[in-house]
Amino acid sequence: MVQAAVKMDEPELIRAAQQGDQRAFEQLVRLYDQNVLRLATNLLRSPEDANDIYQEAFLRVYKNLHTFRFDCSFHTWLYRIVSNLCLDALRKRKVRREESSLVETSDGYLDRMDTVEEPRADSDPARRLESKQVREKIQEVLGGLTPRERAVFEMRHYQGMRLRTIGELMGTSEEAAKNCLFRATQKMRAALGDFV
Amino acid sequence: MTCEETRKNLPLFLYGELSFDEEELVEVHIDECAACREELAREKAMFAALDGVELVPTPEAIEESRAEFRRRLALVNQPLRTSNMPRSGFWDKIREGFTIHFHFAPGIAQVAGAAVMLVLGFLTARMAPNSLLGNWRSAGVVEPATSRVRYVEPVSPGRVQIVLDETRQRVLSGSVDDEAIQRLLLTAAKDPSDAGLRVESVDLLKNNSQSAEIRKALVYALEHDSNAGVRLKALDGLKQFAEDPDTRQALTQVLLKDDNPGVRTQVIDLLVQRHTDAVVGVLQELMEKEDNNGIRLRCKKILQDMNASAEMY
Repeated sequence: MVQAAVKMDEPELIRAAQQGDQRAFEQLVRLYDQNVLRLATNLLRSPEDANDIYQEAFLRVYKNLHTFRFDCSFHTWLYRIVSNLCLDALRKRKVRREESSLVETSDGYLDRMDTVEEPRADSDPARRLESKQVREKIQEVLGGLTPRERAVFEMRHYQGMRLRTIGELMGTSEEAAKNCLFRATQKMRAALGDFV
Repeated sequence: MTCEETRKNLPLFLYGELSFDEEELVEVHIDECAACREELAREKAMFAALDGVELVPTPEAIEESRAEFRRRLALVNQPLRTSNMPRSGFWDKIREGFTIHFHFAPGIAQVAGAAVMLVLGFLTARMAPNSLLGNWRSAGVVEPATSRVRYVEPVSPGRVQIVLDETRQRVLSGSVDDEAIQRLLLTAAKDPSDAGLRVESVDLLKNNSQSAEIRKALVYALEHDSNAGVRLKALDGLKQFAEDPDTRQALTQVLLKDDNPGVRTQVIDLLVQRHTDAVVGVLQELMEKEDNNGIRLRCKKILQDMNASAEMY
């Protein structure tokens, strides 16, 4: 088997992985997997579901990498897979009852969200309470967005992707992505009016 | 640009998603309009609040996902072993040995004395708290024992690729008197998917029925377990508490509702160790609906010995 060199740029890694180089494939995964897990975690708000997306997305990448022809960036190709999986998961979730983040174990109830960190915790109790209320409100609004609005918002706000890229990977126009983002921020603004 | 148009564009302005011309117009308007400047400040505050709810997976979560993915990749890459291939590996033998040991020869564990070897594959991996397992030396990791087909996908005409989810077994050893081992046994005693595991777990627990928690578990198994073998083991463990009022009450309930004649017979034997009016009453009540001749004759004789009628008045 061809071994990946320590330093390869992305196209080289892709080509090596396409030739069956497992180490190159692993390096390729590591270039993106943290952001993929982060996106899925934020979109689905469930570590287990996010892990499922991670596994399924990279398995699909592995199985279909030979079809990648550099027509678009690998980033776009990968996120097209990830966003489709996330949208499917969100749509399925819409038709079933929202799950609690609490799970029962033989040790009592544990919060599944313990495997994620929320940055910017405040040390002032009053502000912490206030920010807790704001967070809850935001969660509520996020839960009320359509899957597409949610996906566009997450990718633009938290992943910093350009709307053009988001449109491309979601199989829609930049304008349509912009409209989704606009609706999402409008809803957020309406709900958070009293807090900010 | 009007105030309304400016405010509508503020989110896109902050995201840097306006065209050059649109951005210019917004900036000019904000410079001139105090109300819209205030609105921009509010918009920025909202963005900051949104930043505060971002979830970041812990390094451990990322590593777990990576490890799971490596396992899956290995599975995708390795040729699948068909079920009719001979099992000749070391772990195959170990696994087969434990399977036989626990599913077909429940007595062996007792004969072995106070030490037990437990294979609590699925239950241990999924339900036992890590803090508990952390106290135990793992004797080894055996081959995946529980598999679930996760994906099936045709790869070419006549060929298919199957991805399995697998659960690995862990072997733990310790004394049956140990509290941690007992907790695992208590969990196993309620595993709804494996009656054999419940029988063996209750069998091991019943020798420690002095513990209130274990006695409670035995009563629960006697009252609720769907398998008569488990109920009989639980009954065996409760024998020494036949005088205990709570246990007697549970026995009475079981006698009147259990559908297994063997269980009912043993319950009668336990209850009649003490001749009380309550026993007379329950036996008379049982006679009203009992359709097993052997049990009816037994009840009748006991009632006669107690100078009581076989019928309720």
